[in-house]
Amino acid sequence: MKKILSLVLALMMLVGCMSFAGAEEAITLNVWSFTNELEGMINKYYAPSHPNVTINYTIYPTDGGAYTSAVDNLLAANATAEEAPDIFTLEAAFVKKYVNSDWTADLIGDLGFTEEELAVAIPVMRQIGTSNVNGKLKGLSWQATPGALMYRADLAEKYLGVTTPEEFQAKVADWDLFLETAAEVNEKSEGATKMVVGEGDIWNAYNYGRTQGWVVDGKLVIDDLLYDFLDMVKTLEEDDLSNKGNAWSETWFQGMKTDSTLCFFLPTWGLHYTLKPNCGLTTNDTMNDEELKAACEADGGTYGLWKMVAGPVGYSWGGTWIGANAAKVAEASDAKKAAIKDFIKFFTLSEEFLYQYALDSGDFVGSNAVVEKILAEGGTPNPFLGGQDHYSIFAEAANLANGAIMTDYDETMNSLWRDNVTTPYSKGEVDLDTAIANFKAAVAAQFPELVVE
Amino acid sequence: MQNISAAAPVKKGKRKSISYDKYGYFFVAPFFITFLIFQLYPILFTFYTSVSDAAGWDKVLHNSYAGFGSFQKLLDMGSDVAPFFWGSLGNTVIMWVCNFIPQLGMALLLASWFTDSRLRLKFQGGFKVLIFMPNIITAATIGMLFMSLFSYPVAPVNTLMQQFGVASAPVEYFRSVGISRGLISFLQWWMWYGNTMIIMIAGILGINPSLFEASLVDGCSSRQVFWKITLPLIKPILLYNLVTSLVGGLTMFDIPHMMTSGNPNNTTNTVARFIYTQAFTTPNNFNIASAASVILFAIIVVCSMILNAFMKDREPRAARLERRAAK
Repeated sequence: MKKILSLVLALMMLVGCMSFAGAEEAITLNVWSFTNELEGMINKYYAPSHPNVTINYTIYPTDGGAYTSAVDNLLAANATAEEAPDIFTLEAAFVKKYVNSDWTADLIGDLGFTEEELAVAIPVMRQIGTSNVNGKLKGLSWQATPGALMYRADLAEKYLGVTTPEEFQAKVADWDLFLETAAEVNEKSEGATKMVVGEGDIWNAYNYGRTQGWVVDGKLVIDDLLYDFLDMVKTLEEDDLSNKGNAWSETWFQGMKTDSTLCFFLPTWGLHYTLKPNCGLTTNDTMNDEELKAACEADGGTYGLWKMVAGPVGYSWGGTWIGANAAKVAEASDAKKAAIKDFIKFFTLSEEFLYQYALDSGDFVGSNAVVEKILAEGGTPNPFLGGQDHYSIFAEAANLANGAIMTDYDETMNSLWRDNVTTPYSKGEVDLDTAIANFKAAVAAQFPELVVE
Repeated sequence: MQNISAAAPVKKGKRKSISYDKYGYFFVAPFFITFLIFQLYPILFTFYTSVSDAAGWDKVLHNSYAGFGSFQKLLDMGSDVAPFFWGSLGNTVIMWVCNFIPQLGMALLLASWFTDSRLRLKFQGGFKVLIFMPNIITAATIGMLFMSLFSYPVAPVNTLMQQFGVASAPVEYFRSVGISRGLISFLQWWMWYGNTMIIMIAGILGINPSLFEASLVDGCSSRQVFWKITLPLIKPILLYNLVTSLVGGLTMFDIPHMMTSGNPNNTTNTVARFIYTQAFTTPNNFNIASAASVILFAIIVVCSMILNAFMKDREPRAARLERRAAK
């Protein structure tokens, strides 16, 4: 009896599956990522409208390179394995490595994205997702991470006499003006308030102004702008115009809570996840806006005293891209290929999704169409910025930033540059020629294939 | 009847011969399986990659034999990488020696105090726990802790120094070669002298007490007991400590990596950090990193052999001559 019953049940299940599959082919996509951010978005927005697609979501943390090792090992060993990802996410630190390799699929050539579809993508994110090797588009992002200049409106008024963001922008419109303003703040405040915390703060913004990336045609390139950067850091150090702290150091966070620092160069996520939770002496990242405000009023803090401007240069800092596994795309059926394309399109270009997601999360999304729609509706007045709309400023910065100079060498090069040149030179330990020679020697030792002249 | 009585002893014998020996293999199997997969295979693989062209992740598994080019690069001082490799080895040796000599001295002193029957120290257990304690914390954690303690310009040590009037302005501790190396040596010393001490105490307690009693009866001073009895008899333990510390010291990684990242100007960069940056930061020169590991392995083997020969328990000259004469 039991046997018959179980047989009937099994048959019913089979029929159920078949009728379902008959309506639309069932497809399984393997998605790999390094946080559960995308998983949450899949469950909330994607899954309800795509019942025929099953997502196998795998997470490896980025700590200690676990994610890149897992991806590298599997792709090197057997890129078309059952468990290999169809789609994987790429962080700013290693996105260039993958889009420059043959492991990621060409979104236009292999998956059939069209220029009309891509027209709304914010250029800087698209540039970073494009291979330096063959110019093919390999990755797209649902968010853009433009950076801006956050400043303390109350201190600016006290020491510089400026009352609006427009006036402040005029005082920091380029790096020369920025330095003049730094001297003015230091003088007027008698050293109590410094313009920035240190070189780590301005580096992200500054290096975006370069005309060439670190490596061009297999040769090391030190852009002229980097020498300007060194002059600037040395002036800040010698004239005592900064707090002389590193980014992410105690001094850095101190500057967010107290009157010791006027400006911070921060991107979209930096505003929400770095500056805001650190605005008060007793604040933390689990507090919502009211709690942050109350904590600042009770124990001292800077909630509501901030404003933001575009600053001297448009730049971008961080971000997450979605790419597809080239080997799996090559052997996929047309239906599966369409599903992979649809997945990437849904998250990075679809107006309904990005609009809803922007409203729900406050994140700055990667589509100019959606950004314009939000701006047209009055933007996003932010109480932390004293009611200023952060979307409009980020939108301006986002379209100024140039992602074409990013290379897969950046992470290592940036740290070699800081350790061998910026820090020892600005502190007067070595002269410029020695610093540059040390840097070149270190680069030659680290990159045997590179031509260093 | 006879049948039964004959069968009984056979049965008994069978039961006796049931062997539990094989279970021993099951119990040791996890170690050997783990060892083979996670230790022996990677070691052999390192030897192999050191003579291959495995540069970059995509070539790790699809590499081919490329001769001894990586070794040549590391041994030829005119090449790009060699100065960094040998420089980091020099740093490692300096920081190891500065930590090991005080460590051995401190451990010997404490061990002889704790085992001295004439001193009879109180609260020995408590002291031993306190002294051993730093060893329980992960080195990486200690590295992070001291990095925040000594950072610049706003950090506990700088604030304290200014409050006590020792310094008028914040000091950049990690831009000074001496202080950076000194701190690393100090942390190595602080973490490991307790461990060395415990091993020394075990060694001293293993000495036949009648020797100490005899020396007491003969009226030896504490100093004489230490130099003439304790030290010569714990030589094997000293050797063990020297070799393990040498291996640990030459592969020093966590503290310099977390605290100084090799700064200032590569003066606290250790060999293990050199290998790490070559292998695990772009562009992943696994072949050079493997070759450096093999050279480091060879250096450690040679040093251990030298120590072993040097510290060997030699027969007294008179006894040796006597034995020869007897032949």
